[in-house]
Amino acid sequence: MTAMSNADFAKAVFRIAGQPKPFEPVAYYDQDGDCIEFIAKPEPFYAERIDELVTVYYGQESKEIVGSLIKGVSKFFTQYPAFRILVKDGKVRLEHLFVARLFMAFEGGKLPTLTYEKLIEVAEQSNAQADVELALI
Amino acid sequence: MILQRPKAIFEGLLRDEDDDRRGLGWRCYCGTPDKAYLPDGDARPPWPNQVFMVFINKERVAYNWRWEKSSPKDPDLPAEHVPERFKRRLL
Repeated sequence: MTAMSNADFAKAVFRIAGQPKPFEPVAYYDQDGDCIEFIAKPEPFYAERIDELVTVYYGQESKEIVGSLIKGVSKFFTQYPAFRILVKDGKVRLEHLFVARLFMAFEGGKLPTLTYEKLIEVAEQSNAQADVELALI
Repeated sequence: MILQRPKAIFEGLLRDEDDDRRGLGWRCYCGTPDKAYLPDGDARPPWPNQVFMVFINKERVAYNWRWEKSSPKDPDLPAEHVPERFKRRLL
């Protein structure tokens, strides 16, 4: 077996993987973690927890919201079964989840409403929805 | 580099979002690496006022790593650590 240079290895990987597709916003429900990870823009980010449910990803250069991590999704739907109407064909639009969270907050406790407003805006613009069928079982 | 030469190691994760999604997390290694990397692989200086954190489970597998805001008092530590986020500091 012969050693491969880094450049040759990179070429081989790109040959196998093919050309990268243009970026599209993505929202993915992870059943193991019971969380939705939402990436709106392909920018390096740092994470900032805003409350016990949501961690926001901010772009390193832009300082804009570029994504988020929403945890306790199935717990949320169990605790507030009325919000199951937000789920259509197993999918939920992320801005609806953020709005639902705002409604919950009005029941008690402070919430960073400005950040939530921004999150809702970014989710709307991205047209982001996550398949949460597994969270409803 | 952070795993080889951490500035701080915390044990006992108190927040769900820090835990391993497929089990329990264990330790968090923190520090400021020499470089940060852009999506195209280009290196740049580390992001200012931020610390890099690597989370490890008991199988010694790193399951999550990311930049977070650092503590204004100590730039090698995350803004929140002991006691609100981790049980104890080992290093």
